[in-house]
Amino acid sequence: MNTLDPRIQRLNLKREANGETQTNSHLVTYEVFHQEKRGKQAVHAGIVHAPTPELALMYAKEQYGRRGKTANLWVVKTSEVYTFSSEDEDVFETVPEKTFRDPAFYKVRDRIEAFKLKNTQA
Amino acid sequence: MYGNAFISPEEAKRMNEQVEDADKLAAFEDRITRGEKIEPGDWMPAEYRKQLIRMIEQHAHSEIVGALPEGTWITRAPNFRRKLALIAKVQDEIGHGQLLYSAAETLGKTREQMLNDLINGKSKYSNIFNYPAKTWADIAVIGFLVDGAAIVNQVINSKGSYGPYCRALERICYEESFHLKQGHDNVVYLATGTPHQRAMLQDALNRWYRPLLHFFGPSDKTSVHSEKLMKWKVKLASNDDMRNQFLDQYVPKILELGLTFPDPNLHKNDDGVWEFSDPNWDEFYEVIKGNGPCNAERIAVRKYAEEAGRWVRQALLNPSDKYVTPLA
Amino acid sequence: MSNAVKELLYKMADDALIIGHRNSEWTGIGPMLEEDLAFSSMAQDKIGHAIALYTILHEVLGEADPDTLGFKRTEKEFKSCHLVEQPIGEYDFSTIRHFLFDHAELLRYESLTQSSFQPLAQLAKKVKGEIKYHVMHADTFVKQLSNGNEESKARMQQALNNTWHLALGIFEAGEYELELTSNNIFIGEAELKKRWMEKVTPLLESYGLTIPATDESKIAKGGRKGYHTEYLKPLLDEMCEVTRTDIDAEW
Ligand SMILES: [Fe+2]
Ligand SMILES: [Fe+2]
Repeated sequence: MNTLDPRIQRLNLKREANGETQTNSHLVTYEVFHQEKRGKQAVHAGIVHAPTPELALMYAKEQYGRRGKTANLWVVKTSEVYTFSSEDEDVFETVPEKTFRDPAFYKVRDRIEAFKLKNTQA
Repeated sequence: MYGNAFISPEEAKRMNEQVEDADKLAAFEDRITRGEKIEPGDWMPAEYRKQLIRMIEQHAHSEIVGALPEGTWITRAPNFRRKLALIAKVQDEIGHGQLLYSAAETLGKTREQMLNDLINGKSKYSNIFNYPAKTWADIAVIGFLVDGAAIVNQVINSKGSYGPYCRALERICYEESFHLKQGHDNVVYLATGTPHQRAMLQDALNRWYRPLLHFFGPSDKTSVHSEKLMKWKVKLASNDDMRNQFLDQYVPKILELGLTFPDPNLHKNDDGVWEFSDPNWDEFYEVIKGNGPCNAERIAVRKYAEEAGRWVRQALLNPSDKYVTPLA
Repeated sequence: MSNAVKELLYKMADDALIIGHRNSEWTGIGPMLEEDLAFSSMAQDKIGHAIALYTILHEVLGEADPDTLGFKRTEKEFKSCHLVEQPIGEYDFSTIRHFLFDHAELLRYESLTQSSFQPLAQLAKKVKGEIKYHVMHADTFVKQLSNGNEESKARMQQALNNTWHLALGIFEAGEYELELTSNNIFIGEAELKKRWMEKVTPLLESYGLTIPATDESKIAKGGRKGYHTEYLKPLLDEMCEVTRTDIDAEW
């Protein structure tokens, strides 16, 4: 191999000759959750492929924790995560309308002012 | 052609002939028009899925093949600061590959299938990585200008419609700003250094100028448009617009150092559009066909890495475990 | 006493630089993407340790600056052991080397947290978490490969056989062992070797590997005195190639 890369020169590139590909050597998929600081939520960061949870954590550290701060990482087998199907997204549709659950729904200042005014006049 | 710039005419024709369920298609397109993202479990036109896989896969290949020209100088970086920066930068590119393959996996193609298609030559990667990094100054030019061009493309693509790709790109763009800064730092040290350093930098600029113009793909006047891909926010800007944005951002930063590009016609006209000499598009098509200076080496090295690593992956594999597609 | 400390710092720094340099050669061509990232980070950590040690040599002991120490010394001036100079070979060798070397590093740095030489004690406290991760990675990975399939088992055993006497060369005694131990600067190579044996032997056996019989005459010594294998000179020539094209330039 004619190469400018001294690392490649040292490799035994004859091995590449057959170029045979591989099938079904997929490792397990793990979802990775990243907690930036103590006291904060762990947030979904991405995935790694790994053979065991231990190695998944080793890999998660380098792919999702190699910059900035990390307090902890979680890995969960993707096959163990349950989600709604996207056709069922409509179950959430009317939730934002249910304003009686919001603090901003409760406004009594006007009533209090009116009450005070009425009392002083009386 | 980082991700999406080159579509063959046959493909564009076929794309327009596909038929889809009209109601679902309308709902899908409405969602995109409203500026919402598409997520992996959603219904999507077969063509959308296919084009995204093609594009994200090409992008992922570009990252891991792109690690090779720069890897040429990993063992030779001239001081500790540069040595750490270069290793960390090449590592990031591998990380970008990992993130992008994961995003493409959510669409139903496994990482293994994608890597197989790369080494079989069935799927492409950016042409620019088929050029050699001849001297240390090439590392400066790649880090600053090739990454600069990639950022233009990636920032635009991060506004696209597919959720997992956008999320990967957001993270990638953040890391790219480190690549750019360390590349610029390297360029400035060479440009303001000894005559030997300046000469090697100018030589590298001369060699990378044409590949950089090719980077965004053929001119809009000659290349095939796909209205559909624009409407679906798979493709978000034209090749010429991206190229112009790149030239506008980066040419002045080279000129201010008293360096030049090997093109007397390179200038910005009164409407803010950059003009340049014909960068020889025949060469671009030749490199796509596999006839660039380093195509054979790049593929040979990836083949080697896949084969030499096979026993490791096989040994790690637990036959009772089943692969599943990433969630998001 | 400063000669004794210098001897210790130089060999530690040179080991870290050379193994970091070697392991960085895997960046971009590793057996899978996730492993590529992890191995590259550890190589960067090692180079970081070398810089930190050269910095102590420079700032506290009056030696040249880190870049000069890293990029402008001759082969004879390097005090790295033969283990770290070896080419990366295949992943079996690189993994076993990583395991044997990092266990020694962890024990070395753990003991140095108690060193009477404060700059080193502080550094040891600072980086022990990094080295702990290196050992976690090495343990998990060597365990997986040693228990993988027939091919991987055979490869790991073969790699261990080939690497054992090179690894024992880590503990080659220096000129100042007595001074280092009596001044509580360092526990000494003999003690470190004892702790290392007690640590790696049961671990490797638990992975199903057989520890090769030690033949004293085969232990790879000489590195600590500046005598190296045929691999160090070309490594340094390559590492310093750009620097040497313009020796006074700032890069
Ligand atoms: Fe990248
Ligand atoms: Fe980059």
